[in-house]
Formats: sequence, C-alpha cells, structure tokens
Amino acid sequence: MTTPLAAAESLAAGRGRTRFASSSDLLRRLVRRPDGLIGFVVLIVFAVLAIIPDLIVGPLQTAITAEGPRLGAPSAANLLGTDELGRDIVNLTVHATRISMVIGLLATIITVFIGAFLGIVSGYVGGRLDAALMRIADFFLVIPTFVLAIILTSIIRDLAGSGAREVFGIRFGLIAIVFVIGITSWSSTARIIRSQTLSLRERAFVDRARVIGAGGGHIMRRHILPNVINLIVANAVLVFAGAVLTETTLSFVGLGDPFQPSWGQLLDAAREVGAPSLGAWWYFAPPGLCIILVVFAFTLVGSALDDLLNPKRSARR
Amino acid sequence: MDEHVSSNPTPSTDPGPAADEILRLEGLEVHFPVRGGLIDSLLRRPRGVVRAVDGIDLTLRRGEVVGLVGESGSGKTTTGRVVVKLTRQTAGRVSLDGQDVSTLWGTRALRDYRRRVQLIFQDPYETLNPKHTIREFVMEPLVVNGIGTPAERESRVTDALEAAGLRPARDFAARYPHEQSGGQRQRVVIAGALVMDPQVIVADEPVSLLDVSIRTELLRLMLDLRAERGLTYLFITHDLSLAWVIADRIAVMYLGKIMEIGPAEQVIRSPHNPYTQALVSVSPTPEPRTAGERAKRTILVGETPDAANVPTGCRFNPRCPYVFDRCRVEEPPLFDVGGGQSAACWLAEGGRSLPVLPARPDPIPDPMPA
Amino acid sequence: MSAATSGANGAVAETAVGGRLLPKLADPAAPLLVVENLKTYFSLDGATVHAVDGVSFRLERGEALGIAGESGCGKTTTALSLIRLLPPNAKIEEGSIKLYGIDLVGKSDNALRRYRWREVSIVFQGAMNALNPVHRLSDQIVEPLTQRLGLSEKAARRRAGELLELVGIPKRRGGAYPHELSGGMRQRAMIAMALACDPAIVIGDEPTTALDVMVQAQILALLEDLRHKLGLSLILITHDLSVIAETCDRVLVMYAGRVAEEGSVDEVFRRPRHPYTQKLLAAFPNIRADRRTLDVIPGSPPDLRHPPPGCRFAPRCPFAMPVCTEVVPPEVTFGQVRVACHLYPPGSDGTQVTTAPPNAIGATVPLVEPPPAEPPLEIARG
Repeated sequence: MTTPLAAAESLAAGRGRTRFASSSDLLRRLVRRPDGLIGFVVLIVFAVLAIIPDLIVGPLQTAITAEGPRLGAPSAANLLGTDELGRDIVNLTVHATRISMVIGLLATIITVFIGAFLGIVSGYVGGRLDAALMRIADFFLVIPTFVLAIILTSIIRDLAGSGAREVFGIRFGLIAIVFVIGITSWSSTARIIRSQTLSLRERAFVDRARVIGAGGGHIMRRHILPNVINLIVANAVLVFAGAVLTETTLSFVGLGDPFQPSWGQLLDAAREVGAPSLGAWWYFAPPGLCIILVVFAFTLVGSALDDLLNPKRSARR
Repeated sequence: MDEHVSSNPTPSTDPGPAADEILRLEGLEVHFPVRGGLIDSLLRRPRGVVRAVDGIDLTLRRGEVVGLVGESGSGKTTTGRVVVKLTRQTAGRVSLDGQDVSTLWGTRALRDYRRRVQLIFQDPYETLNPKHTIREFVMEPLVVNGIGTPAERESRVTDALEAAGLRPARDFAARYPHEQSGGQRQRVVIAGALVMDPQVIVADEPVSLLDVSIRTELLRLMLDLRAERGLTYLFITHDLSLAWVIADRIAVMYLGKIMEIGPAEQVIRSPHNPYTQALVSVSPTPEPRTAGERAKRTILVGETPDAANVPTGCRFNPRCPYVFDRCRVEEPPLFDVGGGQSAACWLAEGGRSLPVLPARPDPIPDPMPA
Repeated sequence: MSAATSGANGAVAETAVGGRLLPKLADPAAPLLVVENLKTYFSLDGATVHAVDGVSFRLERGEALGIAGESGCGKTTTALSLIRLLPPNAKIEEGSIKLYGIDLVGKSDNALRRYRWREVSIVFQGAMNALNPVHRLSDQIVEPLTQRLGLSEKAARRRAGELLELVGIPKRRGGAYPHELSGGMRQRAMIAMALACDPAIVIGDEPTTALDVMVQAQILALLEDLRHKLGLSLILITHDLSVIAETCDRVLVMYAGRVAEEGSVDEVFRRPRHPYTQKLLAAFPNIRADRRTLDVIPGSPPDLRHPPPGCRFAPRCPFAMPVCTEVVPPEVTFGQVRVACHLYPPGSDGTQVTTAPPNAIGATVPLVEPPPAEPPLEIARG
C-alpha cells in the first residue's frame, strides 16, 4: 500500500545508509540552493587549505627560513608580498588557515557538546535542575562574552604559562583560547536545544518510550538526541563562524600565540608593524578577506540549513 | 501465549473481585493543582484544583473490550494514562491480577507491569519516532528491558509485525515511518505493543485519525488479536458508535466520573443515565432521519463545564433535562439497574428507567447558561 | 440588510432578487451555482496531481449540498476552487463555475475578490487558526464589515452584535479573545464571520470535525436553523457521512478527484448504487444498526499523479469488470441520482446492484471471524 512517492523516498533514504535517513538528502538539498552551494564550496576550499597547506605553499616559513625582502610588495616571487621578516604572505595566510580552522572546530565541538548535553538534560529532566542550569546559562548569555574571554584567556595563560607545551600538536596558548570560546558560547546552544527538548518531551513517542519501560538516559539518547541533531548541526555551523571571529579578535589584541600564526595573529602583526599606514595592504588584506569569506560562508550554510530544517517546512504529514 | 481466551462476558451483577478480573481501578482520582500568578506560585499556593478524574471504579475482565467513552474534558484520556503509569493518580488504587501497583514508580519497579500493560496512541504519526526504522521501533521494548538474545529479538519482531498484519515482515522492518500510510503506521504501533506480549492494551482513540475505510481493518485486527492472544482492551474514544462497534462493555464518563457502565447493547439501547441518553440521541449515523426522528434528539444545552469548577450535587445537573432538587445537592452513586448495567442518576435508583421526554423542535440551544 | 456600496472594482450596480442584491451581470433566472467539468490540478515536484478531474454539480438557492469522500479525494479542492482560494501550485485547468450565470473561472483574481465573502464565504475546520488570537471577537467581525462593505464603525458594531446573537453568542461575549472561548463558541464565531457580508453560499470545510458530539449537534442544528432563516445555500465538505445525512438535501460522493455518485441524501443513503458509496456507508459505524458488521474497503486510493485509466475505483471494486479498467464510466442520471459506474450504463433502469447479502450494513463481513473454538463473544447477529 506504499505510494510511489513514499517508495521513491525510501529508495533515496536507503542509498544514504546513514543513521539519520535525511542527512545525505539534506546535503543534496543544501547544495541545490544558491546560498548553500556558495557557502559549501567556499568552506570546502578552506578545508583543503587547512588540511594540506604544505602541498600547496610549502612548509611554514619562519624568521629563519624566510627568503623574501622585508615588507616587500607583491611580485612574481611573492604573489602577495612579504611581511616584516620577509616571509611570504601567501604561505603565512594558507598556514594560518589551519590554525584558525582547527581552533574554530575544537571550540565548536566543545560548545556544541556542552550546549547540547546541558540543553537536553535540562529540558528533559526539568524541575530544579533545569532552573539551576538555565540560570547559569543566563549568566553566560548576559555578560559580555568578549570581555570575559579576554579576562579568562589572560588568567589561564598566567596560570599555565604560555610555554611551549603542546596538546594535539597545538600550543597550549591556543588550547586556552579554544577552552575560553567553548565555555563562553555554550549557553545559547543550550537554550535552543532545551526549548526544542521541551516540546519533544511532550510528544507521543516519548510517552511511548516511557510506557515500554525506558529510562531517562535511553529516552534522551534514542529519542530526543536524534530529533535535535539537525538543530545541533545548524547551530554548530553558526558557532563555528563565531569561534573563528572570537579567535581572531583574541589574537588581534595580542592574546594569541605568535609561534602558530592564525589570521588574527597575522592581522595583529600587520597592525604592529604599521602595515596600514605604510600602505602595505598585502599584509592585512589576505587574512582579513579570509576571515570575511569564512564567516560569510558559514553564515550562508548555517542559515540555509536552518531554513531547510525548519520544523514547519520539514514536517511530513 | 495466554490461554485466557475470554469466557463469554455474560455480565455478572457481582461487583466483588471475580476470578477472571485482570485490571481493577478503585476510587481513582487525578487532581491537578492550578497555580495562579507569580505570588501564588511563590507561596506554593494552588489557586484551585482541576478534578480531571474524580473517583472512578472500573474492572476489566480477561479478554474483554471495555469502551471508555467521553467528550473532551471527561477525563477518559487521563484515566488511560494512569493505567499505563504515565500520570500519577492522586488517590485510589490500580491493581493488575490482584496485585496493587498503585505505588510502583520509577523505571525498574515498573518493568514487569509495563511488559503486561501497553498503550496504543491516537496519532500513529506522532508515536513513531521519525528517525527510527520500523524494526527499531518494534524491537525497542525488548532492548530497553533486556529481553532475549539478538536472534530471539529478531524473531519476536517478525512475529509481532506479522501478527499486526504487516506481512512479510522483512519487507517492512527496514523502512521508516514516513514511507507508510496511516493504517500501516497504526499497525506498526500495534506491533510495537504486541512484541511485549502484553495482557492489557490501553488504546486511546486508536482509529480516530484514520479514514473510514481503513478503520475497519484495524478494529478487526484488534479483535482478532484478542481472540488469538486473549488480550484485554481499554478502548478510549469520544465516539460512542465506535465503542458500540468494538466494546463488550461501555463506560460513559462525564467530568471525571463514570455516569453509566454496562454491556454495550444495554447501554446504547436502554441508557439509564440522561447524559448517556442524550449522547446516544445525537450520535451521528449515516442514515437520513425524518423530521420526527430529529425532533427526538436531545441536544444538550451548553458545554461540559471546566473540571476546575465541578458543579455540586450531580455534576451533570446544570445540563440535565430531568433535573430535580435532589440532583443539585447530592451526588448520585452508581445504581445497579440490572443485567450488569449501572447508572449514576437519582432516577435510576431502584433500577427504574428514565421517563420519556416530550419531543421538541430543534432548539437553538443557548450556549451560555448564566 | 443594506445594500453594499460598490467596492473598488466597481462592477456592482446590483439587481435585487428575493431580497438579495445580485451582482450587475447576474442573470436572475440562472441557477445559483453551476459547476461544469471542473479540473483543478496541482503541480508537485514536476508531476501533475489530478486533484479534481472533471467534476460537475449544481446548487440551488436555499439548498444544502454535502460533498463527501475520504482524505485526498479532492472534496476540499473542489470547494476552494469555487472562489479560487487555492495554494499557489494549484490551477484551474478547465471547466466553468457559474454563479448567477456569471462565469468565475475567467475572472481575474482582482475581479474575483468581489465574490469572495460577499457571495461565497467559508467556515474552516480549525477555528483557532482562522481567528486572530490577539484581537477581540467583535473586532474581527467588524473588520470585514467596514473593509468590504464600507459600513461605518457604528453600523458595523451594531451588525456584529446582531451576528453574534444570530449564532447564539451573547453580545457581551463579543469582547472576548478567541482563547477565552470554547471550541464550540469559536466555531460559532467563525460562522458569524462567514455570515458577515450576507453571502449567498456558505461553504463549511469540515466545520464540526474537531468538536465533541454534543457540540457538533449544536453547530449542525445552528447551521440548519440559519439556512432556513436566512435562505442560505450550504456546501458542506466532510468525510463524515453522518454529518451529511443529518444536514444536507443532496450529497456528492467523490472518489479520487471524480464524482462517484450524486443525488438526494435520502436516495443515495438508502439505496447507494455506486459500489464505492455502498462500501463507504457499510464501513461507517452506526449506532442504530447491528454491531460488529463494519465493511472493509481493501486497498488504498490511487496516486493522483498517475490515476488508473478507466474507473478510478476499479482496483478496489468488488464488481470490477474488464471494461472498468479501460473505459471511464460516463455519468448517468436516474431520476434523482447521477452515477458514474459501468454497472449502470446509459439506457439501463438503474436498479441498485449490491453484493450477495442484500444489506451491506447487515451481515456482509463480521468484524471478527469466529475463532475455531468457542467464540468469545456474540458475533454479528443476523
């Protein structure tokens, strides 16, 4: 008695072989929209830069390995000129992509993990736990994130020292930034996930799970989580954009790690040597453009996803 | 499988615990506090109380289908939710097979009870998690309760799907709910209840959202399963004619109380409570009626009052066409009117029948009783 | 009721007939509404859904017509096509809709607006969705009166009060917000709004479906009363045959976008000719009939993107003959009834053909097959 329409849908779902029938479908629908497609392509380009910078521009140049002139204008040898140490700007910018993206990614993972976990637990369990968690979330929502981030970063760096210790191949100073971004931005994710959980909790399939004897953990894992995962993805994309910006800003005000260049770091260095007043646009323009492009691309993809996942539109009846 | 294929449910007048009784509700009450504004809630001072279920007694015999009929706000759904332990009663007892389960709460304590008492919801679109395959849905109870080895689970899922009429089961197992028609979804929901091999199924409006042509198949499935597995159903519905079609006994609820209960045939053909009588008279049928027949309808005035403001005396008195003084002060108990039928009405005291009301032209009822 | 001042589109120097003022082009002798060969198609993901595929019917003044059918049969689309309240992916492909002899299909959207609400209004199913939650009831009734009929605020208020009384809502309740009213009250308010511009035709789209039986009975009684008082014509769309049996003079049974059978309620319900009508009636629980004898319609309705050739009910029909899967059955009229079924070809006498046992509701298929052992219950009697 299956209708042909339903049969076609089942075929499409079967091909994806994913846990969530709709995620391959979702990607397809995403790239069919102009905004989704542009954002997606831009992100793929940056992802490639971040993954294999060495293959594209060679190893990261340092003060020792730099070969170009100091603060040289764009030339055949250095397409976008050099910095004050003679390092190639193209080389720096591409390598900075990796750091910026990794920091963004880690910060997003932390944010989304904390936010989704607390959001689901708070929404499902309710009662005093909910009230307490949401007051904490409100605290983080209300205080100016950036100010808190500056304070926390300096505290952590003082406590842990900005030394050369590395975690996952990333210097500790950057991990501190990741951590700070994570704990200052989880609250809005938690709020969103919680409100969705509140409405899911009243749905019949949750009642049914209780009737068959399922406990809270099972219900949250098997029934709530899969139904908020789309929301989490859409939210994560926007968090990522925010994380890249925050990292940039923290680096720009000098809280980054000079040994691992990120875009913000480059901008900071450019400002320090007075690149804008010297007319050395090639120094600050490339990282600046990269930031704008990435944030713009994430926002495009994020809002496209949000649109596609809007429960009103995706409701199948 | 259970061998208790029901004995002929000849209504017994004996209200005591019968050997074939399986589920018993005694003095069941669900009162929800109504909190007012901020001040009230700070002082934890309830502003009033919603008496959703206000003291009902109901016994289900093995293999029986009891239709619990009522309009919205009658408390029928809340009663069902108490039986499946989704809502806590504020007073009264629920017992299964003579065992009091009223105070069992929490996941573990209820495990055994939940295996034996299952729920079928109204909306098959809602009950099925859109993210789960049919197999996952039907298997979930087994997984949650740690029943069986993986191979046993598979075979139980297959059995349940086939028992619910989804044959061959493997064709359906890997599919997602949105690929199924409404009727198929409701069969999946039924399979998901059957897999636990329950004894009692609470069915809350199980066919109300389905097209007429699909309903019959599902009703028949439910009755077939009763015959094969000795299931007992509490069939909750707003539609008296559906209860008429499927139930052995019908209980009519109004504002949290059972107004009348008895064998379906008797309750419909000779109602002893004025509310039941009115419901029967306006129950729609696909038969054109003559003007004379229409005039015999009793269209009640107004609407069911708010369960936060239950009238004193008989709760039906403000709308009752037969109301007299006693009704306004004293609430009638359920009077036995013979043949296993009881009615909560002072007019039924001593087993009397309702007097015949004079026919009247269709009124435009004043919907706003002062 | 006073004459409306002409709207912006002007074509309303009106003729009066029977106390009502008709649009300028109206032919007073023409029937109220004649729909002929209406085809409304949807485009969905590149495919064409033949939602309404050649439907004809007429509606006389003061008459109540019920359009019955299951979900997806095109009954709502048919009614919404009348005043083109269709979603953007729907289009009237063919046919004519003549109100007082004026063809509405050819009219521009702008010209058609004059007919919406003032000639044909609608009572929707979900009253909560149709009422604006932030406005008081009376304000919502006043709005169309001042906007469409150009009444003064004071006159509109007075009229709104009258309308509320008319549908059984005390005037003082006009100040209430929708959420303060019960479902039945909201539906009454919807009816008052539908009556605001004194339309000739009121369409009820499942007007009582979400309501309790008692409230449904109240609303149906109200509609009937209004029809007689105001000389309204009603089109009632519902899946619930009992609502039609209760309220309508004639019934139009639709299946998969086509008319299966149409005729007086008495004739169609007592002697259903089309096998689909027979099945549908037999599948309907009936508190006044024997228990446990509901019929089953096997299979499911066709996919309207690729409707089967011939009769659309043929795949599910117990009487299906070879011709049914090839030739579209013509609509043949027998006295009060029009049937589209090869069992009743043109020139036949239209005698009802039924399944073996004479009464479909009686003993065709018991709801429970008797189990081999002692039957647990009384099965269908008779």
